[in-house]
Amino acid sequence: MVMSAAAYLPAPKLGEWLKELSVRHLVLAPQARGDAVVFAPYAEGGEIVLDRDATMPPKQAVFPATEELLRFRRVKDPEDPGRVDVELSASQPAPKTVVFGARPCGTRGFLAYDRVYRSPKTTDPYYAARRDATLFVTVACTAPGNSCFCHWVGSGPDDASGSDLLLTPVTGGFVVLAVSGRGDELLGSPLLEPAGDRTAEAEKVLAAVRAALPPAPDISGARDGLTAVFDDMGFWDEVSAKCVSCGACTYLCPTCYCFNITDEGDGLAGRRLRTWDNCMSFQFTLEASGHNPRPTKAHRLRNRVGHKFSYYPALHEGAVACCGCGRCVRGCPVSVDIREIVLAAIVRAARAREETAHD
Amino acid sequence: MIELNPYLPEMATILETVQETPTIKTFRVRLDDPGRMQAFSFQPGQVGQLSVFGVGESTFVINSSPTRMDHLQFSVMRAGEVTTRLHGLAAGDKVGVRAPLGNHFPYESMRGKDIVFIGGGIGMAPLRTLLLFMLDNRADYGRISLLYGARSPEDMAFKTDLPEWSSRGDMTTVLTIDREAEGWEHRVGLIPNVLLEMAPSADNAVAVTCGPPIMIKFTLQALKKLGFADEQIYTTLEKRMKCGVGLCGRCNIGTKYVCVDGPVFSYAELRELPNEL
Amino acid sequence: MSPFETLKEKIREALPGLDCVIGWRQGFDPLHATPFFMRAPEDVEKLVWSPLCVHNLSTYLPSFRGKKVGIVLKGCDSRGVIELLQEKLVERENLVLFGLPCSGVADLTKLGRAAGDLDRVSAVAWDEAGFTLATPRGEVRVARRDALADKCLSCQFPNALEADHLPGDPLPPATGPDLGDEELAALEAMAPADLMARWAAEMSRCIRCYACRNACPMCVCRDHCIAQSRDPHWLSQEDSPREKLMFQLIHTMHLAGRCVECGECQRACPVDIPILALRRKMNRVVRELFDYQAGLDSQAVPPLFTFQVEEANIKERKW
Repeated sequence: MVMSAAAYLPAPKLGEWLKELSVRHLVLAPQARGDAVVFAPYAEGGEIVLDRDATMPPKQAVFPATEELLRFRRVKDPEDPGRVDVELSASQPAPKTVVFGARPCGTRGFLAYDRVYRSPKTTDPYYAARRDATLFVTVACTAPGNSCFCHWVGSGPDDASGSDLLLTPVTGGFVVLAVSGRGDELLGSPLLEPAGDRTAEAEKVLAAVRAALPPAPDISGARDGLTAVFDDMGFWDEVSAKCVSCGACTYLCPTCYCFNITDEGDGLAGRRLRTWDNCMSFQFTLEASGHNPRPTKAHRLRNRVGHKFSYYPALHEGAVACCGCGRCVRGCPVSVDIREIVLAAIVRAARAREETAHD
Repeated sequence: MIELNPYLPEMATILETVQETPTIKTFRVRLDDPGRMQAFSFQPGQVGQLSVFGVGESTFVINSSPTRMDHLQFSVMRAGEVTTRLHGLAAGDKVGVRAPLGNHFPYESMRGKDIVFIGGGIGMAPLRTLLLFMLDNRADYGRISLLYGARSPEDMAFKTDLPEWSSRGDMTTVLTIDREAEGWEHRVGLIPNVLLEMAPSADNAVAVTCGPPIMIKFTLQALKKLGFADEQIYTTLEKRMKCGVGLCGRCNIGTKYVCVDGPVFSYAELRELPNEL
Repeated sequence: MSPFETLKEKIREALPGLDCVIGWRQGFDPLHATPFFMRAPEDVEKLVWSPLCVHNLSTYLPSFRGKKVGIVLKGCDSRGVIELLQEKLVERENLVLFGLPCSGVADLTKLGRAAGDLDRVSAVAWDEAGFTLATPRGEVRVARRDALADKCLSCQFPNALEADHLPGDPLPPATGPDLGDEELAALEAMAPADLMARWAAEMSRCIRCYACRNACPMCVCRDHCIAQSRDPHWLSQEDSPREKLMFQLIHTMHLAGRCVECGECQRACPVDIPILALRRKMNRVVRELFDYQAGLDSQAVPPLFTFQVEEANIKERKW
């Protein structure tokens, strides 16, 4: 792939550039809504918040909280009025979208989706349509926070994977780098200038951020460690004790992709919806018989952590289903810390191994 | 309409229903599009999602045989919202069908072997498809025996099949109920105990079992006593499912998704899975 | 010995007879305390007590029903316990209540307004006048009014109302402004259409995580909430402000005469929707109609648990 040279966007022209992008795209950008920051459609004059990571990840851009899978309508057969037919229709809306201003971790969440939703075995057409229609203009992270751990999971503050353009904040603006062919096409704007020496400044900025991160612990033992402690319910009871079993962690997560399907409507006509669902909920695995294979929050948290750091990596060549953005830690009403649980499982498994060896 | 949309059901019409037991009702359905029905194929053990529009979908094994394709048969135990609404449907009503989904019984590797079917209650449904398939390919298999049990005579499903199965010379059929009942001419006793009395040989044999968890637990113990190894025992699992194609994330046991990697598992495979049934 | 050290001693003494004692420990960064379940005497060393102990731990008590547990309580938290006792959702003989006089806890959302990125605060200190946050931009000073939870500024119950241990001198009620009242007054001054538009805008960012419900000590239906029931089917899965606001109204109605106004619903909201106002409004109605405040007296009967033909403040029968 031929990449253009880096460009430069002066900060005062950011609004104008987003306006320009809005001509052909729905531009979703981080904006304040009350005390939260969410990805919302950009309108001229909208204030973009880049000084902290958005409260919500950009996942709604490709995976809306609720998506219509189909519509149904009951109709009387004109030949035989006693007979009622059902008409089904389905469509896959895919507005051309630019997600502006996600940090690399937020953008990278979709890579976890891609391996499942566009695998050689299955393609989810709703997801695929939106994914293909969405471009990611990511802003490199220069301000990792206390809950961040992208570098634990094989990423970093300037990770461009999954992005189309990567912006790096430099004095007075952003160095703009195309990291995909589709990103390249966005570089034609007359608002962009050649980056020149600023590329070197950008590299310095990124090197400084990387250097400022505290060392990442080795979590390569998580996959086997979590399997090893699976039956250790004492461990899971302990680490889940403070969890209140809400869905904040899953709905804030850029990689959590589970969903529910429900029919809504009055019986004559209605919609079948796919909605974000949450493995921390009692109902998630509750069977009609009343049996529940994950009856307590300890069972459910075990699956949540196990899925991200053990089962998913086992199925997807070691890739972890976590982008390290820390939203689950920040957004949890009681500060359940997935980092702590993963590390504790590794330690617990190692201790159990030693004890077995001594027996 | 979009091709290759795994969420989009085929419209189907109920041809006939059979009230099997007070809580189990069987539906024979045919896809409305004759071309689709003609082209439809599945393997014994695969499941389908039945839709009642406005209510939702639920997963059931296709319990007819791929060798008899004039209709698809599903047997539904009334338990939740969808199944309750399904029970209210009659011949001529429309349902949606998403099928086939999941894996199937390894009937090819079972060729030449003796087959022992052990079914309890609604657990007879997944056995029925494989049994019919084998009866229609009778020469490929060794001795076939069926042990089917229910709580009481009225809880016995597939009553229209039972006389044929009982009278066939090329299979052994044993029926049992938990407690004595008036007019009952077959065995009385719990399935695992009757199985031990039947004492099928484990040599070159495969056991296929499905039923309520407590029955499965003791049936496994009985099979062990009879010398069956985990590799010789197959069952089908049930989990709450939504998408049926491995995406929605609720039916996993560790790395395995019951909707695509199952529902059929050997006990050797189950042994390797985390204990989260 | 400080009241806190005295309390720790009492907890150590009590622990052998208890399943656990619920308190707080330091969380993942300087600004976060986190609920902590002490099981062994050595755990008590990790117990913390500070204005960052924001959580109302009484929310955990019903899950320990039948077991003997201890719990550390602020004044407001004790009202949750009292309400649970009234409703017989916990047994008094199974509880050991460790109270501490509280002069107010932080509202991290308010602190975030001052800090910018709350996740980059590297140290925090406090005194009677306010908080000092160390941020990448330098030290940020936040006045008490802009740092404490609104409920604390006008707190009438700084000491646990029901406690087995209450070391230290009781604190007098707070005399600050009632910001909750001010918020309600502003909302009530709005035209209905504007008010509806405002709620629609606020609720549109709701992600239906139900943290508000699960953090609430009085939300005891938990796994069987009407919000997630298909039968009856009161709420659809449509992602609309209507459905989301409907849940807030269900929650508010369900809390009528039971809400102790601890504010956990709003504090728990990961997208900071100011939903406490709805409960405050309902509490005001209950107070006016029944002259009743929840969680003050474990022997009292909540007004909607009882029926009186002649309710003093319900005038409709005279119309």
